[in-house]
Amino acid sequence: MTATRPAGRLLLVVWFVLPLIPIALWAVSNQWSFPAVLPQEWGVDGVRSAVAAGGTEAFMRSTGLALTVAAIATPLGAFAARALARGDVHFPGVVAAILFAPLALPPFAVALGLNVVILRARIPSTLAVIVLLSVAAIPYTTYLMRVAVGAYDSRYEEEARMLGASKSMVLWQIRIPLLAPALSGSALLAFLVGWSDYVITLLVGGGRLVTVPILVASFAAGTGNDAVVAALSIAAIVPPLVLIALLSRLGRRTAR
Amino acid sequence: MFSRSHTRRPRKYAFAALVVAASVGLVLSSCAAPSSDAPVAEELSWSEIEQQAQGKTVSLWMYGGDEQGNTYVDNVLTPAAAAAGVTLRRVPVESTTDAVNRILSERQAGVTDGEVDLVWVNGANFGTGQQAGAWLCNWTQHLPNMEYTDPEDPLLSSDFGTPVNNCEAPWHKAQFTLVYNSAAIADPPRTLDEVFDWAEANPGRFTYPAPPDFTGSVFVREALVNQSGGVDKVPAQFDQDTYDSLAPAVFDRLNALAPSLWRGGTTYPQSSSELDDLYAGGQVDMTMTYGPATLPQLVADGTYPPETRILTLDEGTVGNASFLAIPSTSGESAAAQVVANIALSPEQQLAKSEPDVWGQFTVLDTSRLTPEVRAQFEALPASPVLPPYEELSANAHPELAAGWVTPLDEGWRRSVLAGQ
Repeated sequence: MTATRPAGRLLLVVWFVLPLIPIALWAVSNQWSFPAVLPQEWGVDGVRSAVAAGGTEAFMRSTGLALTVAAIATPLGAFAARALARGDVHFPGVVAAILFAPLALPPFAVALGLNVVILRARIPSTLAVIVLLSVAAIPYTTYLMRVAVGAYDSRYEEEARMLGASKSMVLWQIRIPLLAPALSGSALLAFLVGWSDYVITLLVGGGRLVTVPILVASFAAGTGNDAVVAALSIAAIVPPLVLIALLSRLGRRTAR
Repeated sequence: MFSRSHTRRPRKYAFAALVVAASVGLVLSSCAAPSSDAPVAEELSWSEIEQQAQGKTVSLWMYGGDEQGNTYVDNVLTPAAAAAGVTLRRVPVESTTDAVNRILSERQAGVTDGEVDLVWVNGANFGTGQQAGAWLCNWTQHLPNMEYTDPEDPLLSSDFGTPVNNCEAPWHKAQFTLVYNSAAIADPPRTLDEVFDWAEANPGRFTYPAPPDFTGSVFVREALVNQSGGVDKVPAQFDQDTYDSLAPAVFDRLNALAPSLWRGGTTYPQSSSELDDLYAGGQVDMTMTYGPATLPQLVADGTYPPETRILTLDEGTVGNASFLAIPSTSGESAAAQVVANIALSPEQQLAKSEPDVWGQFTVLDTSRLTPEVRAQFEALPASPVLPPYEELSANAHPELAAGWVTPLDEGWRRSVLAGQ
């Protein structure tokens, strides 16, 4: 088992990195046509096009949207998981089914169906996007937290309370640190839901929020845009990777 | 935060909120659907419209897969709109259908200050929207620059068989064209029949996108015209009897062709950009496009082989115009009309025709322009890849009505795709 570990890890790394190599090459090539193995002309035309098309602003919007969704869906998922795990709700099966329902519904159907209701109710479009994406992220955060809460040992808390810790002390010094790895994992998933959505952001957001996925999808629909699509895609991989790095360090530190 | 006493109360609230939300949703969604009557623009003089447009922002939703088009709108059209006091904001979309879906939702909700003010549209999307009253009508005849267009031009009065009825302003013309690599095909075919013969003589070097892809669908319609013995034999408006008598021959021909196609016709490119990629990668020797304007750029940047040329067919191909339409849900229709008028101006049409700007063919009738401007249009640099519009559109025929599109696409799927 221990002998295969490094090999397995290496295989995983190769598996994930391999598809990124052509994308990385495209991002820095001005010309790369069949049958050349490597780009014939290196350059940053793709990056330039991405910036000219409003890539920088789209990047900021995407980050803001994804962080907001993570900030909403993570605590809500934690509450829901705890309530389900402790049997605080009647008909837990039904509640769980409702919580997980967004997984079964295609986002396009949700966007089209709810959009009319949202527009009639005069809900601001950006707020509606945040709410819908948070709801779409809740199944993931709830599921992840449910596993963690199920394995959570509440005797640490009892011990602390016995020693005179206040409720908020228990929350901040014991419960959150113990659940930190799961919390950071679900925050990452919620971030990705907000980071990668096209259809809700566009149709419900009414084009106010031109995010990275909207730019990528619109460029990818055409021919000869490989360099700009690659540049945008590389940029789109960075924030989740940074987040994973940050969260894994945080998780390691608090789990000790 | 997580303790038992705290989870109780939110649960009651949550349940109450759910009930309220559900009932609000029911009330809201039970309102009557909007009528499909086309909303008509207010009768205002042009100077009043220009007045109203001052300081307004127009959101133009357009397909974002054409970088030259994006750049033209951002760097040429937007500054011209700004000079007229209108801020133009481009919203890039993967497909025009996204814009239509947004407008239809807004229309159903009775919105009058919607998020879409102008759409680059034609064909099926225009027709679909017309049926639902999505487009503002009766405004293009007031645009001052309409005087430079030919009122008799069939491409401008009917959009895929849907009468334009002053519901959209013309923007540019397009021609369905077959594109080939002259390095691989020394003696190119001159008719669609010869293209079929060539494909059968060179197995694996030709294919077409599977309908309902826009381009694949056009190709099947061209095959219909070809198999029926010319454009006069196919009535523009759809009727089932005609379809039943004409369609089988087309599907038989395409079925006979299938084994000679790329990968033996067992699979088809899903979209025109997939076919373009096959062509760019030298896997096939022909591609096809409804937007030949992009070809010089694709050759210049090395995406396409340098020997890429256009295959003009003796019998002509189908042509159309694309338009700018104003949704009936837009609150900025005055400013949108100002932008549509600027887009139609000789200066903008000329700039847009430059091959290194966008290379789109003008909708203006150059005989109606001043001699100086006409001379500038005539002096546009000729590209070795792209012949002038006159040559490209020789013997062109207008699009069949949108009613033909779905039956043919479906019939192709059942008879050709499933017939393998």
